[in-house]
Amino acid sequence: MIRFDKKLFALELVIPNKNMFFKFFERHITIILLFVLTAISTYAYVYYLQNGLGLSYNDARSHLDIGRRVVEGLKPGLAQLGSVWLPLPHLLMVPTIWNDFMWHSGLAGALQSMISFVATALLIALFLKRLGVNLLGQLVGVFVFVANINILYLQSTAMTELLLIMTMTAGVYELVMWHKTNNILNLIKSSFWIMLSTLNRYDGWFLFLVAMGLVFLQTWKKKGYKTAEGVVLLFATLGGLGIMLWLLWNQVIFKDALYFAFGPYSARAQQLQLDEAGVLASKGDILLSLKIYFYALAYNSTLFIFILGTFGAILMWLDKKLSQEVRIATLALWAPFAFNILALFLGFSVLFVQGISGNTWFNVRYGVMMMPSLAIFIGYLVYRIVPLRPVIIGLILFVTFFMFRSADAVTIDDARVGSSQKNVTEVSGWLNKYAKDEKGFILISAASHDAIIFSSGLPMGKFIHEGTGAYWESATTAPDRWARWIVMRTNDNNDSSFKLVSKTSGYKLYNLVAKYPFADIYELKEEYIKNLQTDAVYKNQR
Amino acid sequence: MKQIVALILFVVFLISVLGLTVRGISGNPSSGNFNNVEWKDEGPLELSPERGRFALLYSFVENGSFIFDLPIARFATPDLGYKYGKFVSLFAPGVSFIVIPGYLIGKAFGLSQLGVFLNIAFFALLNVFLIRAIAIRLGVSPIAAILAGITFIFATPAFAYAVSLYQHHISTFLLLLSIYMLIHWKGLLATAGVWFLFAISISVDYPNFFFMIPVLIYAGWRLASVTLEDNKTVFRLRILGVFTFLTMILPLAFFFWFNTVSYGNPFQLSGTVDAVKVIDDAGNPILPDKTKQQNPSERSATEFFKTRHQINGMYILLLSPDRGIIVYTPVILFGLAGLFFLYKKHPVAPLLIGVVGMNFLLYSMWGDPYGGWAFGSRYLIPSYAILSIGLAYFLHMYRKNIVLLILFFLVFLYSVSINTLGAITSSRNPPKVEAVALSQLSGKDEKYTFERNWQYLMVNKSKSYIWQTYARYYLNTQQYYVILVSLIGIPSILLILILATQKEKRTT
Repeated sequence: MIRFDKKLFALELVIPNKNMFFKFFERHITIILLFVLTAISTYAYVYYLQNGLGLSYNDARSHLDIGRRVVEGLKPGLAQLGSVWLPLPHLLMVPTIWNDFMWHSGLAGALQSMISFVATALLIALFLKRLGVNLLGQLVGVFVFVANINILYLQSTAMTELLLIMTMTAGVYELVMWHKTNNILNLIKSSFWIMLSTLNRYDGWFLFLVAMGLVFLQTWKKKGYKTAEGVVLLFATLGGLGIMLWLLWNQVIFKDALYFAFGPYSARAQQLQLDEAGVLASKGDILLSLKIYFYALAYNSTLFIFILGTFGAILMWLDKKLSQEVRIATLALWAPFAFNILALFLGFSVLFVQGISGNTWFNVRYGVMMMPSLAIFIGYLVYRIVPLRPVIIGLILFVTFFMFRSADAVTIDDARVGSSQKNVTEVSGWLNKYAKDEKGFILISAASHDAIIFSSGLPMGKFIHEGTGAYWESATTAPDRWARWIVMRTNDNNDSSFKLVSKTSGYKLYNLVAKYPFADIYELKEEYIKNLQTDAVYKNQR
Repeated sequence: MKQIVALILFVVFLISVLGLTVRGISGNPSSGNFNNVEWKDEGPLELSPERGRFALLYSFVENGSFIFDLPIARFATPDLGYKYGKFVSLFAPGVSFIVIPGYLIGKAFGLSQLGVFLNIAFFALLNVFLIRAIAIRLGVSPIAAILAGITFIFATPAFAYAVSLYQHHISTFLLLLSIYMLIHWKGLLATAGVWFLFAISISVDYPNFFFMIPVLIYAGWRLASVTLEDNKTVFRLRILGVFTFLTMILPLAFFFWFNTVSYGNPFQLSGTVDAVKVIDDAGNPILPDKTKQQNPSERSATEFFKTRHQINGMYILLLSPDRGIIVYTPVILFGLAGLFFLYKKHPVAPLLIGVVGMNFLLYSMWGDPYGGWAFGSRYLIPSYAILSIGLAYFLHMYRKNIVLLILFFLVFLYSVSINTLGAITSSRNPPKVEAVALSQLSGKDEKYTFERNWQYLMVNKSKSYIWQTYARYYLNTQQYYVILVSLIGIPSILLILILATQKEKRTT
């Protein structure tokens, strides 16, 4: 109803039931959010696809190649999942990666990030709702997470962060609910989500340990040691299943349960190289580790959001409105923070921040892992500090405006100008131009040059790499019989193609046809092509 | 009667201290002499923000043009604009126009530069009274409110910028006046006034647009609001309120007119035109290499702010030895505590906190949080004013707590000592990064904190007009400095004593 107030000389729109809007929103908030978030997610994906940034991370292309090799190549199958990365993201790609568009657009990998993005935002709202936070607080929490340019970029790529964020947030949410309700179903759900996170990244393994500690503490306090032992065992059985399976996988495929940790392509091997080069400065230095991760966190979330989140966390911790059990359980929200600092200190992880670690970026995206936690803390803060609500919301909008206005995405810098990026377009462009319509295989180390394989646009079956079994063994022994082209970094023994091929007599039968900063291309001399095997003959490998 | 006498004494006190510290030399600077060192580096117009604004003022008043002739252009470097082959101002025009009265009066006495600087000091004085008035409206005792005003003007870097030609005190005045109008008058007239002041503030300094947003929202709430009444949600729009926006027309018309005449486009902001650092001997500008820089016409004013700067920005503004609050004006942190206590008790507190937050966050994202060569964090002067209101509340709350009052006085005295040093010497303090580079070039240790001002004082130099013109024959700069600090400190401690011993009259 519209009426006119003569006294105030004002037009008034009067809605009879004061709660009508709020009730409608509260009733349908999940559906509304689902639609809005899906639209945002899709828009962001298309935006980054169209401006060519969607696959800037070399790791994104490698993830897509791993998924693709499971379904296509000279030796397709689950064994292609390898040991470099945990398998869940690649397994989730399998249903769609067979399609060339899904592979080359990156959508097969981004899809899970996008779904995770939407799910995490909904989880944040749910988390806050269960903590008793009102609709406004929930929406602010969702906004803080969603309106972050780094989150939006990572949800548009085939990287593993969003999937990890979603599984970890779901695990912590169920854990907190278990602390609140003592319902065993919550505990089982928590262990399930945490199990999924352990199959995604090693951050999940740390969360698994933290969660086990919290479960033990809670049960021990309430029901004594014996019950605690049983409940922890129950939790660990499902929660630790992923870890057990991974160890088993490594044992079966690579004959070493710890191959992922100590193998030649492990993160440790990479860290050792960096350590030898003297650039793993954070190892053994807790203050530097803290500083580096703090910078990564502040660059990803903005320092203001981090400060606001910290206030929210303190408030949550001190707020008697929440039970002590719940407050203790929310400590799990800090697990990514603790893990990353610990990993840097122990030398298990490497993270370069421009200005602190020279003039480069590397893995700075790890700072994004605290975003859901910060969003939850801020949502809670807005709920509890009633008089300052407009100020807090206003300042969040203010900072967010500048984040988007200046397109200040550190993750894009990390992908484009940092160590995560190598310019492979020259090599892949050459292959696409000269090898696409010619018969013959390309010998290449996937461990070193997966991004080239992806960017070339050639079918996976065109490449002989470490995962192709007999082809690899044959081609690295007698390259001139198997490989028409070899892509490798000359004189670099870290490149396994060069390491093996350079020792063969066939190496001399190739001409160096293209030399680029990132890799060189060799082609078999014309006169030897007639002896070349150009068909996939090891059919029984499939 | 007692109150009027007290107020008069307070005004005399403020005028005396500002009069003793205002920077300047005798004479009317002109095209013929203002490129001399006694007006520039060694004189009162020592830095380009002062020169750039003075250049625009001079060009308009003396030449009747916004386009600079060659001597004026040389004077304005290295912050000089260049558009369509002409030298133009790189600063928003408001300040240059607002200080015209000071210039004309000063010129009549052969003191045009001093007149301009006194014009700024006048705004600083008004700010003290606005702080006092707002604090009293919030229920603070007048003595605590006066102490807060004194703290703002003499114990923060606002002091150094009250006696030179910068935009900060005018911006702060517009902000404080808007707040005062909103809490004093409830009607639409106050709202109309706020729009008017907002529109003026943009031409004084572009970032005012952001600081004024909380004030605008607060004022806007009077025009359109949502309330819950008798189980009904009422969305209300006051029709007359729409007409209040008309007050913005005149200031905005001036602003657009200036932009059109200077840059050929009403919406072109001065900071987005080509900047000329140097003019060669033939009078040609040396322009930045366009192959390396973004085309200025494609540049937007908001692009200079990046969230990634926040870590460095917050460090510089809060903690750094070259600009940090903790070093230059720790006393103002009591105001933060005051705002914290106030926020639950008064509906205007969120507005005050919002302004401080906006100011602090904006400059923490700015690529140059140092404010170039400067004394203290000059960008935070609006925040110092708001925090002073919080400080008034803090002092009022703890007026019977002797330990806290002693602690306050000690920190106050330290802050006054630092900022008086800055006021009577120079604002030419480089940021640390530049000081290090300078040290390497010059081979001597270049100071970048208030130590640089101390060095200046120790070689018997001061830019105070009174000292340079009269007092130098009787006192050296150190004696002059001690007298000034005492002149501020003694009345302040007396006020604290009165505050502590005053009988309860008001409650919040």
